[in-house]
Amino acid sequence: MIKLWLFMAGAAVSSAIWADYPSTYEPPPHAAFVLTHAIVDVGEGQGEFEGWVSVVDGKIAGVGAMDEARPSDTLEINASGRWLTPGVIDVHSHLGDYPSPGYRAHSDGNEATSPVTAEVWAEHSVWPQDPQFPLALAGGVTTLQVLPGSANLFGGRSVVLKNIWSRTVQGMKFPGAPYGLKMACGENPKRVYGSRGQTPSTRMGNFAGYRKAWIDAQEYQKKWTRFEKALAEYELWRISDQGEKDYKEPPSPPKRNLQMETLVGVLKGEILVHNHCYRADEMAQIIDLSREFGYQVTAFHHAVEAYKIGDLLAKNNICSAMWADWWQFKLESFDGIKQNVAMVNAAGACAIVHSDSARGIQRLNQEAAKAMAAGQRMGLSVDASVALTWITRNAAQALGVADQTGTIAVGKMADLVLWSHPPMSVYARAETVFIDGVRRYDRAAGLGPVTDFELGQREEVF
Amino acid sequence: MKRILLVMGLMGAMSLSAGELLIQNVRLVETNFQSGEVIDLRIVNGIITQIGVDLVAGADAAIYDGESRAVTPGFIDSGTTIGLAEVRGLGVSHDGEQADDDMTAGFQVYLALNEDSSLIPIASNDGITRGLIVPEAGDSNYAGQSALVRFKRGSAFLQEKTMAQHLYLREGDRRRAGGSRSSALGAALEALAESARYDRQPRAFNTNKNRPFNLDESDLIALSAVRSGKTPLVVHVDRAADIIKVVTAFRSYPDLRLILASAAEAWKVAPLLKAENIPVLINVMENLPQNFDRLGARLDQATLLANAGVSFAFLSGSPYSETRSLSQAAGIAVAQGLTWQQAIAAVTSTPAAIWGLTGLGRIEPGAMADVVIWDGDPLEVTSAPVAVLIDGDWVDLETRQDVLAKRYVELLDLK
Repeated sequence: MIKLWLFMAGAAVSSAIWADYPSTYEPPPHAAFVLTHAIVDVGEGQGEFEGWVSVVDGKIAGVGAMDEARPSDTLEINASGRWLTPGVIDVHSHLGDYPSPGYRAHSDGNEATSPVTAEVWAEHSVWPQDPQFPLALAGGVTTLQVLPGSANLFGGRSVVLKNIWSRTVQGMKFPGAPYGLKMACGENPKRVYGSRGQTPSTRMGNFAGYRKAWIDAQEYQKKWTRFEKALAEYELWRISDQGEKDYKEPPSPPKRNLQMETLVGVLKGEILVHNHCYRADEMAQIIDLSREFGYQVTAFHHAVEAYKIGDLLAKNNICSAMWADWWQFKLESFDGIKQNVAMVNAAGACAIVHSDSARGIQRLNQEAAKAMAAGQRMGLSVDASVALTWITRNAAQALGVADQTGTIAVGKMADLVLWSHPPMSVYARAETVFIDGVRRYDRAAGLGPVTDFELGQREEVF
Repeated sequence: MKRILLVMGLMGAMSLSAGELLIQNVRLVETNFQSGEVIDLRIVNGIITQIGVDLVAGADAAIYDGESRAVTPGFIDSGTTIGLAEVRGLGVSHDGEQADDDMTAGFQVYLALNEDSSLIPIASNDGITRGLIVPEAGDSNYAGQSALVRFKRGSAFLQEKTMAQHLYLREGDRRRAGGSRSSALGAALEALAESARYDRQPRAFNTNKNRPFNLDESDLIALSAVRSGKTPLVVHVDRAADIIKVVTAFRSYPDLRLILASAAEAWKVAPLLKAENIPVLINVMENLPQNFDRLGARLDQATLLANAGVSFAFLSGSPYSETRSLSQAAGIAVAQGLTWQQAIAAVTSTPAAIWGLTGLGRIEPGAMADVVIWDGDPLEVTSAPVAVLIDGDWVDLETRQDVLAKRYVELLDLK
């Protein structure tokens, strides 16, 4: 009983964040191997070299140039004529939540029924049989964040997935990856709710809505802090009979509030904020909002105007997740420019290329290449190796998993892609994709997942 | 920056297509691109007059040094919406469809086009010099007539008012005609039959009270042009079973020129399309099985059609998002097995042939001077045009995006 209370008190908030709905993903065993003679770019923006990478038990065990000693007793795979990079990471996806086929019966990405739905979790909508997952794998994507849509000020919790075919979403969840909170600026929330004659119907309404919710979260956090203090006093009394009060029963915890648990998770720094925000001036105001309530914005998504405030973003340590060239499909994207990503990079801020698209996720390398080339034409110093970090290392950083994946480094997950051409070329195709050292896609061998939906009715194309 | 200055300088020197322009030292993708030899192009009054090694410039000729760069004909986009909306998401600024009418075959997009749209240079910046501006289905399966444009701002924008009639028969389109694909195709055929009756008795349109016409006169006239083959009919249809039905149904109009678009499962019926000489318009990047009509959608569709001998051209579909670059689409098609020459043809000579655009889509003596000079392999995502000629005129490639970028590079002192 005591144990239970302690558990609830100490972990009431954080257990909801970490322990419930756990990942069941365990990489299957594989034989150790070393890929040799590949053109290796480890994803740190430092260029490429002809080298080898050894993999043992799903982890990178060693990296070296061809003239450096490599393990001699393991299986060698000659990757001559191939380019080797870390697995591609998409920080903004709706795969599984907006699957193909895209019927309303399947369309589970936006709980557009209230401007604050921090209580919903994207993972509860993910359909693991979405045939878009294998298409993304064929584009080299090994990790992706699935986010709720942007109809709401607070859209709900995101989930980080490994791009594994599994019967359950639990079997795809990236073990230990922090949750994200999707927030949205601008046109979408005010359009969705304004058209129903309710708040928010303006950008100032959006901000009033954010602030009200954060104030509620602070109150909720206080309530739990008070309870934890009371419980500690009770425990002291129970064990040592010391204290001012006599207790008939232990203090009872406040009722759990899922919406508030997620927001408090942000205030405690355990849940990362992913904020859909197009316009520079709105991003600057969101930064003020985060200061008012003492939390950190991890990344602005769809940040089409990030180039206007690269300095501010660098100073505040906020990543920008951007498209290479989407623009002008809505008014808040009117100032989108092809040079955006390279300009954010040049300002010293964290730049990421994201897709938000089941098409775009199949070619994030090409999107990064377009953004790189636009920057070079502008005279900015950026090369293919730096551009690769926009879809690998920086993306891992924004998802809070940079210690586990995103670069080729000893001890990290062996999430690797062998490409047919330099990865910034339109002709580059992922030839082989490893996730945790396991070969999950191999074009030449015709190896790759086929979802239940496709089985028996759609040709298997590799 | 250098590129902009260069082009601006050239524009100052010869802003009109009158006179002679000699483009020296280029590699034509149709001939000498791979060999690395360079060649010169002589352009007189907007027409390519001569192609050869070391051509001698006329006395008053302007000279442009191509610096061994790749040269393609201007790309032709077989379906986009530039000029119909400045910002797609703002309903009020979009003019691409007619609603509130059960038949809109007579709808003409050209009357709605904005020849000063800021989107126009975005296309020429991607090497696209001509394109079809296509209506979307409003409340009718016949959406109306597309127009052909040059991607050059101003009065030269509109080239042809009527290029094709567009009929939408994809999965979601059946609701426009009774909720079944049977009634949708039936209604489309009935409308054609009625246009035939109109042709026989045009004066009866106002007088025949016993057997009135269901359609407006503008619809009947538009559909007559479809029956006679004067206006090709583009049917936007995905499912193989539907493609067969469409091809079979329209056989009763022998002069009708059928073209398929969207066509996710066209590859499954490639022999039929080859036998009937029906071309297909493809959005290369649309490979998602988004509905049951598109279960067969795949990224290598162009390769399968090419292998079967079917004629195809690429379209972007939209100027805004991930499928907008035709050069990227063509590059992806190459990665998926198409030859480089076939992919270039799918955005140049093949669409020119499908749309009957004599003098476009090829660089040869007698052709119109739609010429794009690239800073690399034209199909690479890292390449871009350094200079573009449309009808022999240099196009100003600076976009509003470039001006915005310049402002903030200077403001933040980015390097």
